[in-house]
Amino acid sequence: MNKSTIALIVLVIGLILLPFIQDSRSILILMTQIFILGVFAMSYNLLLGYTGIISFGHAMFFGIGAYSIGLIMRYYEPTYLYFLFAVVTTLILTAIVSYLVGLLTLRLHSHFFAMFTFAIAGLFLVAAEKWRSLTLGNDGITFKIPDFFKDRVIFYLLSLGLLVLAYLFFRRFTQSPFGKVLQAIRENEKRVESLGYRVFHYKIIANVISGMIAGLAGIFYAVSLRFVNTSVFSTEITLDALMMTIIGGVGTLFGPILGSAIVQFAQYSLMDLAKVHWIFERWVILFGIIYIVVVMFFPSGIVGTVKTWFTRRNKQILGKKKPEGKKSMESSKADAMKNILKGEVDG
Amino acid sequence: MSLLKVHNIDTNIDQYHILQGVSFEANQGEVTVLLGRNGAGKTTTLRSIMGLNPVRSGTISFKNKEIQTMATHNIANEGIGYVPEDQRIFSGLTVEENLKVAMKKKDEQTQKRFEYVLVLFPDLKKLLYKKGGYLSGGQKQMLSIARAYVNNCELLLIDEPSKGLAPIIVEKVMESILDMKDKTTVVLVEQNFIMASSIGDKFYILDDGKTVRNGKMRELKEDEALRRQYLGIA
Amino acid sequence: MDAIINITINGLATGMLIFLLAAGLTLIFGLMDVLNFAHGALFLWGAYAGIWVFTQTDSYLLGVFAAVIIGILLGYLLERYIILPVYGNHIRQIMITLGAMLVLGELVKVVWGPNVMIANTPAILSGSWEFSGILIIKYRLFVIFVGLLVFLGLLFLLNRTKLGLVVRAGVMDKEMVQALGINIRKVFLGVFILGAAMAGLAGILLGPYTGVVYAEMGLEFGLLAFIVVIIGGMGSVVGSAVAALLVGILGSFASYYLPDISLAVNMLLMLIVLIFKPSGLMGTKEAVK
Repeated sequence: MNKSTIALIVLVIGLILLPFIQDSRSILILMTQIFILGVFAMSYNLLLGYTGIISFGHAMFFGIGAYSIGLIMRYYEPTYLYFLFAVVTTLILTAIVSYLVGLLTLRLHSHFFAMFTFAIAGLFLVAAEKWRSLTLGNDGITFKIPDFFKDRVIFYLLSLGLLVLAYLFFRRFTQSPFGKVLQAIRENEKRVESLGYRVFHYKIIANVISGMIAGLAGIFYAVSLRFVNTSVFSTEITLDALMMTIIGGVGTLFGPILGSAIVQFAQYSLMDLAKVHWIFERWVILFGIIYIVVVMFFPSGIVGTVKTWFTRRNKQILGKKKPEGKKSMESSKADAMKNILKGEVDG
Repeated sequence: MSLLKVHNIDTNIDQYHILQGVSFEANQGEVTVLLGRNGAGKTTTLRSIMGLNPVRSGTISFKNKEIQTMATHNIANEGIGYVPEDQRIFSGLTVEENLKVAMKKKDEQTQKRFEYVLVLFPDLKKLLYKKGGYLSGGQKQMLSIARAYVNNCELLLIDEPSKGLAPIIVEKVMESILDMKDKTTVVLVEQNFIMASSIGDKFYILDDGKTVRNGKMRELKEDEALRRQYLGIA
Repeated sequence: MDAIINITINGLATGMLIFLLAAGLTLIFGLMDVLNFAHGALFLWGAYAGIWVFTQTDSYLLGVFAAVIIGILLGYLLERYIILPVYGNHIRQIMITLGAMLVLGELVKVVWGPNVMIANTPAILSGSWEFSGILIIKYRLFVIFVGLLVFLGLLFLLNRTKLGLVVRAGVMDKEMVQALGINIRKVFLGVFILGAAMAGLAGILLGPYTGVVYAEMGLEFGLLAFIVVIIGGMGSVVGSAVAALLVGILGSFASYYLPDISLAVNMLLMLIVLIFKPSGLMGTKEAVK
């Protein structure tokens, strides 16, 4: 067991104990949101960070999950059985939609895929808005949930559980041979293809897995609010995932979680600050600036930058022992940066 | 007098170390041929001279001026014309437009060059208003050479002009290169040894990203063992 | 009959506005493979600055002038400081230009307040004409006229000038253009600024057409222009023109006859194009790998 695993275990234990240590309701809700959107961002990162696919319509899977639970809880019974039914429905629907979308577009260049997914998510949004008899449009629907989920602490722990499971899953997945192929696709698609891998299949499967997990995050999101409206299909949701992934670190496991925490905390505290000075009402500006600064100066995000920094430091320590250490340090740093920078897929 | 002097250049493409010490010289008015197996680094050498794959170390001097850090367009304007491997004709532009893109100045000299290439390649004159995409392989090759020449070219870098062309066309292309010899210096990358040996004055053999042998073309013609070793041909 | 003609004119006018945005985008993409999601911001600033100057000075011409100038200025800054550092990487381009879009969109609110801005029609262009019983609003014809003028000017520039020749060659193979001694970066900056000026112009034209402008409009129209670029084929100005008019007219008819799905029409159109002809109606660039 290495240091970082121990650190993570300590962190998780700390988070489990948190609701018993402090009882601020708003902090608990904030943390729950961080967990849920962290899972969503992780699912996005599987595409962006590990496969090099950029999607502008990831909200569609999130929305499918949110509406599945919302509609089923409202129009059937808020029982555990129906809850399970909603989960299964979400998984099946997201799998079908992501498979079809992938089938139609993953052969195209990345920006076409981006626009295609953007359009599909747009159609979902329009459908949700116009099918008023079912969804009540933008007013949204409120719904009841099984009592068990109503308890804030229990739901907090459940969300944390989902996050930990997702983390473990992605860790396992990205280190598996399958995950390695995906990362190779991100680095150089043509070469992977020429090695005899059917790149297209790998991408579709990544898309399906990513979509299903985003759907689960959508379920939790809707349950936490006990309300769902069309905003779950909006481009902002996708952009949030994009931003969290970027800030935290594209192609790192922990990055999206950290990104989620930073973005949520920032929104939370900046909204408070709006009462202090009007400029904070325009907090989107700050977000935009963070976006630009991160892309320009920390293209590998926070986690990626720290990682590079550590690698460099370790190499320096080694470098003292070996005279040729300096050169290898420079080249490996360059390689690491290049690997991370190359979010790009098409040549 | 050497017009182009490439000294010990190293070039990376992404993480791959492609050139690991290539050196050669091209003398004014001569045809210098770079030979070597597939993947030896011949194309990358030409691209490095053009600044398309910038060198990591080493020097490239043209007319006694170091050009290895200059931008591609400035290198071209120093007087180097580039004829890439697959010709890279602007297929949506007419033959005339293809040439006009390269004609930077409107002076008499450029006009003379324009007229010269049309005399050298009568095919192009006939097809002046046809789209580049409709040309045959040989015609594309001619256009690509003509296009590289019409700027203020003193050195032509030509990458495998015989590739994919019928022998009779190859001969025609080679004849025109010979014809240009008194107007411009040529560096030729060629797999087709018979062609290369018929017009080359000097040769350099590249292997694994390094120049391993060089000499007068006629020496290579006589040295079967050397050819077998590096070129895989008798 | 009355309705159909008016809907068509509406659609044409909207289409022309979108074309002014899309033409710049398509060249920017075609020439340098740059995905610019901040293009809508230039449009937005053109609208706000132009209308503001127009209201202050009561001169529509000055307003147009201001809109174009602000477009050029922002375009220059955008290219130099935002896009230059991220050449050759689509994902970083998308993210950084989205960031710029957010900042510029919010800055509009800081400068002019968060409320919508009212735009009047200049006196000389207000009112309408009557042709055999059909009422046609003058300003809409004006928008169509200006759009047509810009389109023809652009075609002339591309097909009859040396710069246009270089741009067309660059769209096909930018590396080769450089190897022929042309500084493509300079050409690109020029094209980018031209696109920015057109976006600014579109902004001020839109103001009196819709009567109000608002900050979210930037992203909305920016995305619409992107959809048009995809439908028309990236890199093709004529394709963009055709697609913009198609989107404009279809949208205009849909919002009259099928208001419920009018929002979805563009999306559906783009999906159909992407499925059956991914390189777009007139695109030459390979869409499939």
